Amino acid sequence: MNPPEAPAPYDLVRVELTDSQRPSKKRKEREPGLTLDRVDFDYHGHVILSGMDFELHRGDSAVITGQNGCGKSTLLYVAAGLIPPKRGAVLHAGHPLGALFPSARVQRGLRVGFVFQEGGLLANLDVLSNVSLALRYHYDVLDLDEGALSARAEAALETAQVSRNDWHRQPAHLSFGIRKRLALARALAIQPNFFFFDDPDVGLDPRTAQVTHQILCTLRDDPEVTLLVATNRPQLIERLEVPGFSLHGGHLASHSGKSSLPPSTRPQR
Amino acid sequence: MTDQSKAGESLLTGLGGSALHAYRVAGALLLTLVSAWKSSRAPGEGAREVCRALTVRQIFYTSFQALSMISIVALFVGATLTAQSEILGGPLQRETTGRVLVTVVVRELAPLITAIIVAGRSGTAIATEIGVMRVNSEILALASLGIDPPRFIVWPRVVSTTVSVPLLTIYFSTMAVLGGFIALFFIDSHAVAEWRSGAVLGLSVIDLPLVLVKTVGLGAIVGWVCSYYGFEVGSSPTEVPQKASRAVVQSLIACIIYNAVITMVFYGLLVGGRLQ
Repeated sequence: MNPPEAPAPYDLVRVELTDSQRPSKKRKEREPGLTLDRVDFDYHGHVILSGMDFELHRGDSAVITGQNGCGKSTLLYVAAGLIPPKRGAVLHAGHPLGALFPSARVQRGLRVGFVFQEGGLLANLDVLSNVSLALRYHYDVLDLDEGALSARAEAALETAQVSRNDWHRQPAHLSFGIRKRLALARALAIQPNFFFFDDPDVGLDPRTAQVTHQILCTLRDDPEVTLLVATNRPQLIERLEVPGFSLHGGHLASHSGKSSLPPSTRPQR
Repeated sequence: MTDQSKAGESLLTGLGGSALHAYRVAGALLLTLVSAWKSSRAPGEGAREVCRALTVRQIFYTSFQALSMISIVALFVGATLTAQSEILGGPLQRETTGRVLVTVVVRELAPLITAIIVAGRSGTAIATEIGVMRVNSEILALASLGIDPPRFIVWPRVVSTTVSVPLLTIYFSTMAVLGGFIALFFIDSHAVAEWRSGAVLGLSVIDLPLVLVKTVGLGAIVGWVCSYYGFEVGSSPTEVPQKASRAVVQSLIACIIYNAVITMVFYGLLVGGRLQ
């Protein structure tokens, strides 16, 4: 990792949370969490991330806002190690992800939960198999026997409030809201220490959105989980009360102050 | 600049572009296979068990479910070859007829036609399935869950086609000989004994390594090339049929070239044309 240099011409993007910003966090030591080190990314010349430095300590949370198409989802993909940056490095808990197979990351204790804006569910597996696949794949690393594996999958589905009637259905036969909760359950089942959520409550009814918000607040308060959420929803941003960053032109700009809500999206009271 | 020099420059640009494209495709193809092989060797008992189960299921889809189609094609190919040989050779050449059928079918037709059937049936399915997974972000989702896509997706499919083509080739050869036998029985039932002795003479031990090298290679080509083109799909659903079609065409071309090269190398150089 390169040493920090003179301040970038853009706003502060290296997060140093104070206790007042998120009092519910209990962790005192500042251990490395998610690090983006001078990351560049573009789609066929269209710049999405440009020389981005970003750091969240272990147990910290942040919200990314930005206009549609500005690259919030891409930022999450790169930060989660799902797509490699064109230049620069992404580190989870100090481990560079570049040379590691996804399974090798889990073997090093780097468990990622990622909820996609849309899709991402394995179409040929039913609900229960979607949730238990990763547990089965890593049962030796996670030290799970068949009973513990089923119990953990079922607990995740119940936490996300996916009805038992749907457990043996395939994703194509479920409504959008249930699919979103299933994706959340699948991400929770692996007990991630890095959680990425892309547009958590878009297209959800108020009850489902409430469930999602509650789970996100629990993850935010978990000192082991580093949480990064991409959203423009004022209610969720207000509720999470974590530092917010706006993505524009390939750069992140922080929103200072107690509320993470960018001025343009602050609800009128 | 004259028209002639402009045309020359555009030809050179076109050739350069094609060469660069071919180089890029070759590199990406190699990377697909190497990463699948490397990831299949990665540690993880759970990963090994899940991928083994997937491979067995893929072999079932590729081989067992293709049996009915292989049976029909092989029976009629064998019958047609026998009928043509009978027309050309007549009653005096029955032994030669049996020998020609076995030689042509076992050495050339069975491996190639089996590979073509597997490419058309399973190769399309492989490229389409992987393409749809790409469009639906399922590949990214697998990576997010700590599941290696090359190990979970590519390796089981390459192994399944590599195992299935040799097995199906043996089945094809048997059914083609049976088809020839049935055809001859209807043409002249008294000629069967003579034809059978010719068929037995047509088989040679030296054919075994050839058939093995051919069929394993042909199977690997189908699984490998079709997986590669499945991964080539971007984010648009319209790319899926385009890439699936390209996958089948390219794998068929590769199979035909590979088949010819192996035959020429084996009989031309190694056996030196001694095999009669």
